[in-house]
Amino acid sequence: MANFFPRWTNILPLKIAVCLGVAGAGVVVGFTYYATPKAQRVGYMPAQPIPYDHALHVNQLGMDCRYCHSFVEHSGHANVPSASTCWNCHQHVAKDSEKLQPLRRAFDKDYENFDGEPIKWVRVHKNPDYVFFDHSAHVNRGVSCESCHGKVNEMEVVYQAESHSMGWCLDCHRNPEKHLRPLEEVFNLDYDAEEWLAANPMKHPDTGDPLKTQKDLGLYLKEHWNIKAKESCSTCHR
Amino acid sequence: MSKRIFHHPEVHPDESGVTSWRSVGELERTPAFRAHLEREFPEGSGHLSEEDQKATRRSFMKLMGASSALSGLTLVSCRRPESYIVPYRKAPEWVIPGKPLYYASTRPRAEGSVPLIVTTYEGRPTTLAPNGDHNDGCGADALTHASVLNLYDPKRSRDFLKSGKKASQKEFEGVFGSIARGGGKLAILVGEDDCPTRNRLVEEIGQAYPGSRFYSYEALRGEARRKVQDEVFGSGSQTVVDFSKADRVLSLDCDFLGIDPAGSASDFSRKRQGGGEDYRHDISAEAMNRLYMVETAYSLTGGMADHRMRARPSQMAGIAAQVAAELGVEVAGYQDGGLSDAEKKALLGSVKTFDSWIKACADDLKAHEGKAVVLAGSRHGEDLQRIVIAINRKLGSYRGPVVVYETGRAGLGTIEDFEADVDSETTVLLLGPSNPVHERPGGKFGRLLNRARLSIHLGLRTDATALACDWHIPAAHYLESWGDTRTSTGTLSLVQPMILPLYGGFSELEILSQLISWNNFDWASLENDNPEEKVQPPVLIAGEGPAKAPSPAMAEVRKTFALPENANDDGDAAWKEALKDGYLQSSSYQTVDAEKASDPKAKLSSARPQGIEVNLLADASVWDGRYIDNGWLQEAPDPISKLSWDNAALVSPKTAKKLGVYESVEQLEPETDIPLLGKVKNAPKPSIDEGKNARAPMALIKTNAGRMEIPVLVAFGHADDCISIAVGYGQGASDRRDGVEVASEGDPYAPVGLVGINTGFNAYQLRADASFNAEATGVTRIKARYPVALVQEHNAMNGRALAREVSTREVEHHGHKVSFEEQVAKVREQGPVDSHAPENVSLYKRRGSKTWEKDVDKQEDLISDKIHQWGMTIDLNTCVGCNACLIACQAENNIPIVGKEQVAMGREMHWVRMDRYFAAPMEEMDEKTHKKVPTPEWVQDNPEMVPQPVSCMQCENAPCETVCPVNATVHSEEGLNTMAYNRCIGTRYCANNCPYKARRFNYFDYNKRNPLVDHNLYKGPFGETQVGTAPHLQRNPNVSVRMRGVMEKCTYCVQRLESAKIKQKQIGREKTLRAGVKSTEVEIKPEDLRVRADSIKVACQDACEANAVSFGNLLDKEDAQVWRAKYKGEKKKKNGITELIHNPRNYDVLQYIGTAPRTSYLARVKNPNPAMPDAAYRGLATIHTG
Repeated sequence: MANFFPRWTNILPLKIAVCLGVAGAGVVVGFTYYATPKAQRVGYMPAQPIPYDHALHVNQLGMDCRYCHSFVEHSGHANVPSASTCWNCHQHVAKDSEKLQPLRRAFDKDYENFDGEPIKWVRVHKNPDYVFFDHSAHVNRGVSCESCHGKVNEMEVVYQAESHSMGWCLDCHRNPEKHLRPLEEVFNLDYDAEEWLAANPMKHPDTGDPLKTQKDLGLYLKEHWNIKAKESCSTCHR
Repeated sequence: MSKRIFHHPEVHPDESGVTSWRSVGELERTPAFRAHLEREFPEGSGHLSEEDQKATRRSFMKLMGASSALSGLTLVSCRRPESYIVPYRKAPEWVIPGKPLYYASTRPRAEGSVPLIVTTYEGRPTTLAPNGDHNDGCGADALTHASVLNLYDPKRSRDFLKSGKKASQKEFEGVFGSIARGGGKLAILVGEDDCPTRNRLVEEIGQAYPGSRFYSYEALRGEARRKVQDEVFGSGSQTVVDFSKADRVLSLDCDFLGIDPAGSASDFSRKRQGGGEDYRHDISAEAMNRLYMVETAYSLTGGMADHRMRARPSQMAGIAAQVAAELGVEVAGYQDGGLSDAEKKALLGSVKTFDSWIKACADDLKAHEGKAVVLAGSRHGEDLQRIVIAINRKLGSYRGPVVVYETGRAGLGTIEDFEADVDSETTVLLLGPSNPVHERPGGKFGRLLNRARLSIHLGLRTDATALACDWHIPAAHYLESWGDTRTSTGTLSLVQPMILPLYGGFSELEILSQLISWNNFDWASLENDNPEEKVQPPVLIAGEGPAKAPSPAMAEVRKTFALPENANDDGDAAWKEALKDGYLQSSSYQTVDAEKASDPKAKLSSARPQGIEVNLLADASVWDGRYIDNGWLQEAPDPISKLSWDNAALVSPKTAKKLGVYESVEQLEPETDIPLLGKVKNAPKPSIDEGKNARAPMALIKTNAGRMEIPVLVAFGHADDCISIAVGYGQGASDRRDGVEVASEGDPYAPVGLVGINTGFNAYQLRADASFNAEATGVTRIKARYPVALVQEHNAMNGRALAREVSTREVEHHGHKVSFEEQVAKVREQGPVDSHAPENVSLYKRRGSKTWEKDVDKQEDLISDKIHQWGMTIDLNTCVGCNACLIACQAENNIPIVGKEQVAMGREMHWVRMDRYFAAPMEEMDEKTHKKVPTPEWVQDNPEMVPQPVSCMQCENAPCETVCPVNATVHSEEGLNTMAYNRCIGTRYCANNCPYKARRFNYFDYNKRNPLVDHNLYKGPFGETQVGTAPHLQRNPNVSVRMRGVMEKCTYCVQRLESAKIKQKQIGREKTLRAGVKSTEVEIKPEDLRVRADSIKVACQDACEANAVSFGNLLDKEDAQVWRAKYKGEKKKKNGITELIHNPRNYDVLQYIGTAPRTSYLARVKNPNPAMPDAAYRGLATIHTG
């Protein structure tokens, strides 16, 4: 019986395997690059109805995070300020600025375009509905805003700085010492552990060595404040 | 390989002559029931339905094509959609986004209002809980917990109707104005709740509208009882029992722990614990109360009873008269009207037994003079009410547990007065929650409305009365309106709105106050032509006045509050304090000196129907019919019959046999209609069947007043020759069922919505008069069958000694007497192998240990949290099985309803399953022959009923966790068996492996797709969604809303636990500020992070009136009630290990399979009277099944 398949077909399976392997690897690489939260979310910087400038308000004017995000220490949500909060200052300051018209439309009854509709801010950081992240649990235990939101005090337009993926959450839950800081410094986004330790020298309670780095301080606080960040599902999912 | 079936250990034949069962099938051991036991899921629940099977290749391709086209569309815009944060324009006071806000309010109710704490999220009320700080904070029943859903009912009335057709508010204002200007005669019908502001307005309206009169009516309040009480104690009097003072209770068909409240059920439960209510002391038999019950159909109270007798409704008065005679109370007509020997024999086997039952009971009551009480069911006639008052007077009850109060209802007319008074000059205003057109006998109420000059109805629903009236006004829910009300003992409690009326409804007080203000309005000024002095005509105000002024109802409530008899000063402080607390301290009713009241004139008429009697019952789900559109209540299975979405005629097994119904349970379905083949004779198959094939046989019941066709169910412990039917159902149907008004699904003004349509049968049509009993003139089995959603065998847990019971009386065991204390000590060994089951041995070495030996010193602990370890106990001694926990759980945890069809298939989603068992001793040891003989028939026919709520037990060795392929259900360090819903892929292995059958699977997207729309679930993405409809506003934002294909179950309200723990974490900041030092200097110890003992309540625990559920942190030791319920103390062993001493009454269900559940149960204690003929048969109901 004659050879049914020509000779070149001998190498065909190998070719197919190689091609499939390359294609598969391409899909994996492509997926990790384009489809994971790190690629999808980090850098998300939508335009807001009012181009609120955090850098101006925080770094130049010296406002605390909690002036606007007032319930962050008490509630799971870090609330976005109501129009009345903005109006406290802006009824006096830059009232006629073009950029502030949405605020006046929402709040200033004397404004000709007043309609009383609240401002619709575009959400930057969004967790899935099955994730129950609680701000108060973190800021009351020495985790700064900065750890998750980046240096918002330097952002003219807020963008997402970290991936907020589950792996990223767990990184910190497994090693919280990387992020713990004194409660007084939680809302200080320019905080630097080494500078702080230089100004407030501390010693390790057991060895007596001076604490020098973030890790030293973090480990000390973790022990001292009994921080046992949980990894069980119901911590965030319920 | 065939499936391996686990065999539960055998119960030793000497151990127990008690047989326990859930259903007829189980009692008779039908082949179908046995097959069903061995199956993992109820038949059909895990299978494709016919609809799904019909999905052809073609339709599959269609769907797939459509969905890939859609996904193509979405791929283009790969970024997630933009979403918005919309903060308040002006932040309201107190609202913290993401945090619940709690208000004290009150639910008005005829039996005394229910003080509540309402949880609101950004203005949406989501769950209700009893107000524990209230003077009368006694817990809340299932109806109260479910009432929050009525607020969001999409079927709620939202339009003005004129003769059943939509009309404008303007047009009604014209009518209202003409009434107000005319000032004519009004007849105003209100509910039976006591509203002080309304009482005040009654007088003002009487002056403004001469000849007007107020009447009060609710169908289930018992007109005969009201009449007798008004006559004896004075108009508007109300009897309330203080169960904390009642040592002996005889209830004559009064379901006071269920749907016929007579006093605080919490007090009864406390007394039931015999001094051990907080588990600091053991139960003492002497301190326990004793409950005797005579009733027709089994009730929840009957389940708690120490002694129970079945009797027909007409015999109640005769039995009461015999008790009275034993106590030396004169009852006129007793000689002729007492029970005949034949009747006594039919009830308890022999005249002697019956007489000794009554005598022993009467003697016991007499021995507890001043601490005993006799109660009469509210639906019973005058004879019984009079006799019971006379007995209570003789027993000195009015000096002890029974208090008679003078309520504000004095002077209100009855419904009969109303019917007599209405003439062509009268304008009728129907403001109460009742539905008299549906409820009143013989349809005469509708004719009466025609007779009136004008009839106006205010109501939440467009029910039969709304449609029969000339005008209908949409009403506001009590969570939307201002009001005040009194609890059963008269504490003035405030009703405050949580939200503006969703559908612009008016409250009763708003209508009444505007009747006055419009009457005072200067109507002549409208005629003024001068444009400068032009006055606008008044506008009817609902919820909020012009320019956000508060509702006129608030002003009226405030005015009542400022009356000298309420607050002493009219200051804001007192008002604000009362609003915060929900009630006014130091307010109460005046009591009536019952000893000095007139003679009740106890009498007994001798006429008793000879044939089969019809006994109409209040329904635990729809009450008198007003909750017919409440999906939670409709889906909650009836606590006794376990029937959901319908009512049925309940008959005893004997009567069922007589009617030819009982056999049909085992008998064969004669034939089925198979396409092409035609009618085919069936192979033997039980006809009531299970799952979606369950069909109950139907009967035609006739009385002098009417007739009805209704499915019949066998009810154990029911009186013979009597049929019990719950009222309230059958208010509208699209399937042309007999005797029910025709309604269509889409009609916004139909009497029922999607929930209530095609549910049950109208039993009101059987009554000829106001009485709830009638004689049946004919009962015949008809050929038709009716599909029923019976859940009694769904998720049936099997095993030995599931629910355990002991008796305070000595019981015979292997020929020797066992005392109460010994029985209690042996509770943990009631399971057949519990006493010698070996301890669990781990397959794994513990960390730090070299061997598998229990080398405790060297090994490290398992991963477990040192701060919190959660645990729960359920005390079967106080649990009555009322469903309140089930409903509260549904509200808290966003549990969807699934509809009748899906329930029938066994797909109900309730996380708490209320098991209900019957158990009766079928054999006893003959003392002479020492052989087993059957127990008397009257004992067998009167089984004990044992409820047992079961939800996830949070096993430490959870069988579900090991089989999950994706780790969606895992253990937390705190002892919870957690569920990561987003991770679940729906293999259902876990449910398969759960010995307690505590897991529920979302077979469909019940939350997203409306399961009540016909075939909607089967349409997949093309089905109608219900997202964004009103009921979704009720959702708890802290709990995931689960989607199709996800397994779910109880996780001890983990959202509440987490939020409490997070709150506790603020302590670091607190301590820093308090100490005035740097935060780095402050030490936070584990104790600082521990939530204060017993400060968290889970939803079911909060809901339980009986305090049967204890929950807390086991590491709080003695400080936590749950720890005390589980353990009596600790002792140090020789090797230094501390060992916990168990509370003897506490046991684990299915202990022998070694799951180590965190939820344990406490055995039930019966307190029988040794002198009673049935004493030896009580307190033996330990449940073995399977």
